[in-house]
Amino acid sequence: MKALLDRACDLMRRAGCSYGDIRVREDRKETISVQNGKPEHIAVDRTAGFGIRVIVDGAWGFFGTYRLEESALEPAVRQAVAIARASARFQREPIVLSPVAATEGFYETPHQVNPFDVPLEEKLALLVAATSAMRGANVKLRQAFASAYLMHQHFASTEGSRLSQRIVQCGGGIAATAIAGGDMQVRSYPNSFRGNFGTAGWEYVRAMNLEGEAPRVADEAEALLTAPPCPAGRRTIVLDGGQLALQVHESCGHPIELDRVLGMELSYAGDSFLTIDKLGTFRYGSPQVNIAADATAPTGLGTFGWDDEGVPAQRTPIVEAGRFVGYLSSRETAPAVGRTSSGAMRASGWDRIPLIRMTNVNLLPGEAGTLDALLDDTGDGLFLATNKSWSIDNKRLNFQFGTEMCREIKGGRLGQIYRNATYTGITPEFWASCDAVCSQAAWSLWGTPNCGKGEPSQTARVGHGVAPARFRNVQVGVRA
Amino acid sequence: MNTAEREARLLEIGSRVVGTSPADETEIVFAEGRSLLTRFSRNAIHQNVGTEDVWACVRVVAGKRVGVATAGSLAPEALNGARDEALAMARASDPVDDWPGLPPPRPAENIAAYDEATAESTADQRADVAGQIIRAAKARKAEAAGAVDIEESTLAVVSSRGVAVAHSHTRAQAHTVMTCGDGSGYAEGLSTHLAEVNARAIGRRAAAKAVAGRNPKPIEPGRYDVVLEPVAVGEWLEMLSYIAFSGKNFEEGRSPLSGKLGEKITGEEVTIFDSAVSPRTIPMRFDFEGMPKERLTLIARGVAKAVATGHYRARRLGKRRSSGSALPASTSYECLPLHLCMKGGTSSAEQLVRGMKRGLLITRFHYTNILDPLKTALTGMTRDGTFLVENGEVVGPVRNLRYTENVLEAFGRIDGLSRRLTRVRGPMVVPALRVREVQFTGTTEF
Repeated sequence: MKALLDRACDLMRRAGCSYGDIRVREDRKETISVQNGKPEHIAVDRTAGFGIRVIVDGAWGFFGTYRLEESALEPAVRQAVAIARASARFQREPIVLSPVAATEGFYETPHQVNPFDVPLEEKLALLVAATSAMRGANVKLRQAFASAYLMHQHFASTEGSRLSQRIVQCGGGIAATAIAGGDMQVRSYPNSFRGNFGTAGWEYVRAMNLEGEAPRVADEAEALLTAPPCPAGRRTIVLDGGQLALQVHESCGHPIELDRVLGMELSYAGDSFLTIDKLGTFRYGSPQVNIAADATAPTGLGTFGWDDEGVPAQRTPIVEAGRFVGYLSSRETAPAVGRTSSGAMRASGWDRIPLIRMTNVNLLPGEAGTLDALLDDTGDGLFLATNKSWSIDNKRLNFQFGTEMCREIKGGRLGQIYRNATYTGITPEFWASCDAVCSQAAWSLWGTPNCGKGEPSQTARVGHGVAPARFRNVQVGVRA
Repeated sequence: MNTAEREARLLEIGSRVVGTSPADETEIVFAEGRSLLTRFSRNAIHQNVGTEDVWACVRVVAGKRVGVATAGSLAPEALNGARDEALAMARASDPVDDWPGLPPPRPAENIAAYDEATAESTADQRADVAGQIIRAAKARKAEAAGAVDIEESTLAVVSSRGVAVAHSHTRAQAHTVMTCGDGSGYAEGLSTHLAEVNARAIGRRAAAKAVAGRNPKPIEPGRYDVVLEPVAVGEWLEMLSYIAFSGKNFEEGRSPLSGKLGEKITGEEVTIFDSAVSPRTIPMRFDFEGMPKERLTLIARGVAKAVATGHYRARRLGKRRSSGSALPASTSYECLPLHLCMKGGTSSAEQLVRGMKRGLLITRFHYTNILDPLKTALTGMTRDGTFLVENGEVVGPVRNLRYTENVLEAFGRIDGLSRRLTRVRGPMVVPALRVREVQFTGTTEF
């Protein structure tokens, strides 16, 4: 491998590249779905190849190929260079990269059990047991899921870095779908859309106790069918971890991506209200709101050793006591705010360029104690749990979320169940209304395995650490 | 290697993998080709990429146990490895009691969908296309962001039931979001031929919208009549397809069409069909089981007619053969229509606007998501050109709004469709629509 990487860097230098890097990457993915006690879908995906990224005449070019052989290097470099020269015909200013020290090293996700070493029979048994434990006359679909990912990558740059990483990711969950009378209600655990995920081994899924949680999940799906619709109005709400993780993802994680801020994603997902003039001064939220992007958080789905530009994983303050103080950035974009890269560039595979992606964008724990303590302190309001739908405008201001579960908070206790709850708001107003965040003991990491961005499209796996939090005077339901 | 040679080579490799398979049934699907994309922002190219890739998906059956594995290589050891891995998974799995076997071959008509000039277009040619859009922006003191995207690919399917088909296609598309101060506009074009993508027209259209969209005024949420331009119609149709037209969702009771075939589910103006063989779309000869693509009417004059199926789902639903809508076996979605078309009406796009007393002209939507699949309730934002119309005239831009609407109900309030059909990304072929009283539930700051 070393010879291939050295050869690639040599070819890039000889071709006149002022900068070049190569990522040789192999990915393996296993997905298992069980439905109503039977395996429904089992698939293993493998892909391998390399991508050459160069700067020529101050402009970017990239070419990737599945041909993992030395003879493919020269044509790939030639293609990347030709693409870069075409880019240079329409560029604003030559690319300038913020500095990073040349490094050599190896990183591997700490894990106990390689999920690919666990026999399929054992995985199926765990999932079948979970679906079998779901009951309910109207629970038509009882589903359990598990997925595992293994990424092995070698990175080399013309600046001298030689890095190797082996990232292991794993996750799973269950879902009960109750259908009757023209209505359908879904209840999931530990999170919706196939569960929760982390950088970890199979021990992560074993610890979920899917079978133990299954009866409650099915009961709640059944109960939602006959629950009244959530009344509309302005209410105090408490968000559980799963929903709050996605709230952070959409209303903080994406708008702090500096490529979006600079308009580089405008033609697809949009730009950002967090423009550069707001850095350091803008009141993003209340003093209770502290957010950091931390690529070093153990088990976080966005945890790694180095990003795909060879920048070390790091922790970057984003919001401090409500004040907006930092972006997720790359070597190319960081100079626009006078900083160095925050180490957030990741590609979804060998065939894609790295983009600024969330690492683990975490809402830091507050001082509100446990969830029970927060509910007790709240008195009256609504407790919203587990995401069901999400939508946000292209500057990340107006959002609307729906949740699977809504419970009335009355006298500090959870009461009446409501179905089809939604809430909506404008991002900085919403975060300004946050007056309590639960403490460290209630804080946990949530994985978002399906973060879409870029053209051609890329899907990233990212993380969010949160503890349940309270927001005042929030519009619940739609103003029809 | 030309496409005929590539198709023959994939069929030969596939036959070898299938012919030497120890499984009871074996199917292999290949996709091989190149994708090239030039992306621009603020009137400059900022990302520019090319990839050559191959993907092979092996599905094997042992008894009635099914396993699937993919490989990213044509090397025999990789393909045989995937086949063996799929077989091991099948053996560890439970039988599918009603497994009908892999589908037998059916003839698929030849369709011309490959353009050599598009396949061989260079990075400089993509830059030229981007340059034409950028020049259109600069001419109106606007800024362009967007992408020029080229794909050339061969799809081949070989199975132990005797399926052996291959098809090559090219696709060229360009789109742009143009900004002018606080105004924003969007336009796109796509074809099998790069030469048919009119970058100058795309640029001019988006620039005109961006200029006209400056100084948008706030507007109260509420119910408004709307004219949806084709890109906005396409976004609703795509979401509707995802929740309503899958035979799998239909059988599981998760589709708004579940139990309602033959019933009126929306307005009589609405006829939606899947037609991958139409020259209006980016054609596809067969699905990922090698079954021929045929026209499939999903909704006719408001009545639910059919859902999309692969072989397994078709048999479960009592059909003799599938609708040719199988997705790769490596995905759990199973079956979807991929080339939706909506029948047009008799109006021009201008007449649709002129016939509206007070309402909104909407270019496109953003971040649409599903609130309630059975009610086809969606929410999303307007984007890149939302205008107030009064007495049949566009009077000015308004800030973007959030809609929350049941699409099949809204389609029941259509009171005008354009005669002209537009190919939009998807690919889909759709008219512009005028819809009464669409529900807008929020606003934003731009």
